[in-house]
Amino acid sequence: MDYNFLKKKRILLVDDEQELLNMVVSILKEDGYENIATAKSVKEALKVASETNPELAILDIMLPDSDGFSLMEQLKQTKDYPILFLTARGEDEDKFKGFGLGADDYIVKPFLPKELTLRIGAILRRSYKNENPLVKLHASEIDFDRAEVIKNGEHIALTAKEYDLLLALYLNTGKIVTIDALCEAAWGDNPFGYENSLMAHIRRIREKIEENPSKPTSLITIRGLGYKLNVEGK
Amino acid sequence: MKSIPKLIRRFIGILLLSSFLLIVFNFIAIAVIGYSQTASGSPWKTATDTAKALSKSKNSYILSESLSKELNSNNTWAILVDNNTKNVIWHTENLPNEIPTEYSLSDISMLTRGYIKGYPTFTGEHQDGLVVLGFPKTSYWKHMYNSWDYWFIANFFKILLLVLGGNIFVIFVIYMIANTRLLKSVNPILNGIRNLPLEKQIHVKEKGVLSEIAASINKTSEILETKDYQLKRKETARANWIAGVSHDIRTPLSMIMGYAGQLESHAHLADEERQKAAVIRRQSERIKNLINDLNLTSKLEYNMQPVNLENINIVSIIRQVVVDFMNMDISEQYPIEWITDDHINTCFVNGDKGLLKRAITNIIQNSINHNENGCNIYITLVEKDNKYEIQIDDDGIGATDKQIEKLNNTPHYMVCDENTTEQRHGLGLLIVKQIMSAHHGSVTVGHSSYGGFSVTLTLPMYL
Repeated sequence: MDYNFLKKKRILLVDDEQELLNMVVSILKEDGYENIATAKSVKEALKVASETNPELAILDIMLPDSDGFSLMEQLKQTKDYPILFLTARGEDEDKFKGFGLGADDYIVKPFLPKELTLRIGAILRRSYKNENPLVKLHASEIDFDRAEVIKNGEHIALTAKEYDLLLALYLNTGKIVTIDALCEAAWGDNPFGYENSLMAHIRRIREKIEENPSKPTSLITIRGLGYKLNVEGK
Repeated sequence: MKSIPKLIRRFIGILLLSSFLLIVFNFIAIAVIGYSQTASGSPWKTATDTAKALSKSKNSYILSESLSKELNSNNTWAILVDNNTKNVIWHTENLPNEIPTEYSLSDISMLTRGYIKGYPTFTGEHQDGLVVLGFPKTSYWKHMYNSWDYWFIANFFKILLLVLGGNIFVIFVIYMIANTRLLKSVNPILNGIRNLPLEKQIHVKEKGVLSEIAASINKTSEILETKDYQLKRKETARANWIAGVSHDIRTPLSMIMGYAGQLESHAHLADEERQKAAVIRRQSERIKNLINDLNLTSKLEYNMQPVNLENINIVSIIRQVVVDFMNMDISEQYPIEWITDDHINTCFVNGDKGLLKRAITNIIQNSINHNENGCNIYITLVEKDNKYEIQIDDDGIGATDKQIEKLNNTPHYMVCDENTTEQRHGLGLLIVKQIMSAHHGSVTVGHSSYGGFSVTLTLPMYL
């Protein structure tokens, strides 16, 4: 199992600067994305969107004919899909406004290619996780649809907490997820004092997914900080 | 308003003291003048002396040498009126012609009380009659009908005191009325001056004797207000200008950073070229951090950055910052070690999440910027005296004692009003200092036990 299906997602990229469009397109192509459409204004973006039916949009906020916030609202009217802002406006209020209107992420320019591709990958995985029934690990596969792990042909059910934790790790594949973020994913908004429970759950997950739970290769501990999930085929 | 009663008390004190001194002075003056009067000899006494000095020899009278000299020198004449005939039986040589030589009883009574032909007269008793001395016309003034109520004389001192007291009281009342009026006009002015340093808008009524001062206070307040407004406008303009510039740099810098990042990981390029791309990427990142810092520091400096304090878990913030660095560190040149006790998971502080994140990011970024060949970074968090100490160490090149001393004690050039030509250090630490001071915390830099640089942030515990 790999991410090829995510790389085929149709991406709409809107920025008034041609040079920047070229660069982002080249970064995305290098990362394997194939279907990228670009636009330089709100008007053009709406036209391109109706033609290409995008599955992810990357928008600038300052556009010649209007702003990215209103473009997002118009785009979401036809279909709800993930939207990421890529803008030179770094003010906190702008970020809050973007997230408040339902943006999935907000990247302030300038940015590194890796930052952009990691975030796009995370958004796509989160938004289209149901289309990816099997996640391949070193010694097993996770079926998020059925909430189970398949190891050596054996189907092992995941508990609700184990599912939440694995999902949070999977959505950030290859990145370290902090203890706090994992506790929040499993126990909600006030995730204090669950650190020991978290360790216990991680141990149980390892028993289900790892070949040798005492020498984990897929679910790695970063001491004192968090955990990282390594996925095969990435 | 404390100064007004004080002022009144002092004024009254001065008034009472001056009244008292005035009375004492008057008594002394009266005493001195009175004494000089009596010293010159009372005319009654001279008359008695003359009577004594007048002796009878055969049919004529002779005045002693000394007394006749004294009378002559004073231009005084003398007569002796016979007891029986009421005629002048003796007189001095200098007797004016107009003086009568015969006297009736009523004449005698009159001259005893007053004058003869305008000459003040005084009498002395002689065995043969009455000696009458006539002084020059303007030498004495006599009160001819001098009689006083007995009660008045008996209570003279009481009355004197009463009159003095009355005088003082009247002066006091006049003084109070005059002063209250003055104070009434001084009061608003004093209030105005007192409020000037409070940066309040002041308007004092320009009326009364002190209207000129009131006008200048109003003017001063106006000037202060205008200056304050202009200063705020300038600061806002500066912060906005910095925000504008940093915004405009972002898009071009995106392209430099983006392409450099791409080239760096381009498999077709030679190692050397990829290294060059890495340098471009790293330096662009420094520019990015610099403009972020510049923007934030100017906002913090001019109080345009809102600080949203809430109860937050500082451990979770540090972990997130560290993990963000680790997730982005492609070359793994800067491994970060978390050497904090595993049991420390929740440490509450009252802080702004974004700003604290920024402070810790800046310190780690600082270590990365100053150690281009890579270094290990160590994060420790300990609890000490109701405070949390976050220590960020590296084993990189570190700093000299002098540099550390300077970082700890010298103001940054951004907030220093002196012209400095010395080498300037980045904004990273300045922001950390600003953020810490907004959280009632502190920053210390020093040598690390790992061999490099060490920064310790101290934050008060949320209790």
